[in-house]
Amino acid sequence: MNTKRITFWLGFVVIIGLIIWGLVVAMNKTPNSTSKIGVPAPVTSSDNVEGSSSARVTLIEYGDFQCPACSTYAFYVERLFNEASSTMRVVFRHFPLSQHPNAIPAARAAEAAGVQGKFWDMYRLLYANQSDWSEKTTTEANTIFDGYATTLKLDMTNFKADEMSSSTIAKIMAQEAEGQKIGIDHTPSFFVNGREVNPNTYEEFKTIIDAALSGTAE
Amino acid sequence: MKNLKRLLTRPLVALPSSLVIIILVVALVGFADATYLSAEHFRGVIPPCSVTGGCEKVLTSDFSVVFGIPVSLLGAVYYLLIAIGGLIFLESKHISKLEKHNSEILRLSLLLTIPGFLASVWFTGLQVFVIHSYCTYCLGSACVTTILLSLTVVMFRKYRRTDEEDLRFKI
Repeated sequence: MNTKRITFWLGFVVIIGLIIWGLVVAMNKTPNSTSKIGVPAPVTSSDNVEGSSSARVTLIEYGDFQCPACSTYAFYVERLFNEASSTMRVVFRHFPLSQHPNAIPAARAAEAAGVQGKFWDMYRLLYANQSDWSEKTTTEANTIFDGYATTLKLDMTNFKADEMSSSTIAKIMAQEAEGQKIGIDHTPSFFVNGREVNPNTYEEFKTIIDAALSGTAE
Repeated sequence: MKNLKRLLTRPLVALPSSLVIIILVVALVGFADATYLSAEHFRGVIPPCSVTGGCEKVLTSDFSVVFGIPVSLLGAVYYLLIAIGGLIFLESKHISKLEKHNSEILRLSLLLTIPGFLASVWFTGLQVFVIHSYCTYCLGSACVTTILLSLTVVMFRKYRRTDEEDLRFKI
């Protein structure tokens, strides 16, 4: 094999290597560096909050109950909260996406459970069993949500009334509008003490929370 | 049927390098697209749900993996084989300057665009009729494969050995 041929094939290998390297760099790039996402609105009494109001770290999630990634991250969030519940609080805000027809019904069910003080229990049930209702019709999904409400021993008459009330949908839409206003374009979107973060794994998430707890986050 | 057989089996002659380079570049675009999806799969990153569509539904569906192998990885190998076929031809013509160019290997690699296109039709159909969501990267790959098939058809029709040449060759 002469030098020209070796150079030719080496050139090809280099091009393939450059393509793969470029992709890896693009994937590892933190979106924060170019992010134009604004700061979430301050936490108010109407928010769904788990944890103490005096907690040093506030994690705000904009989520969609039918989003598979949100379901995965819900386990991360629960684990993080369990490990740092005295110093961290979690806030969930609705951001139902149009491609998920059961996202708003699920959000309604969570809010209706919240009226009876069981928002986070319903939150966990919805995410843990997402595959059971995600691809069902809205009527079937609502029947499944009724089953969760029964499991949580909710007052079913009030649950059904709250689920369909105009104030429930108004709250969901208001949170979604607020998310749109600050430029959210995907779920889940997380903010730690007002700053957007994009962890890919539980470990990355934990590092971010630990840094915020120790006050070393930028 | 006989015409189809003639179209698919007849050797290619007097192939212009420019057309092969276009095929090579398009195949590399497809390779980058499929490699990106494969890397995301193996990194175990759950794609976020975007306001612009349901890519996450497509990429996390049961159809995204065949016998434990991500479809995107099969796609990456497919595009790479086509690119290698083009390179072998270009190398034989311009570097080794062989009198008889390696068009047969290129022809065989281009035949892959037929099952590649059929697979793209199948996966696009799944997105439309079964998953009811669309993944931009998957649709991009389907476009690349369609372009490759179109270029292959042009090449096979325009540059295959003629009947007279074929007869002379056999004699």
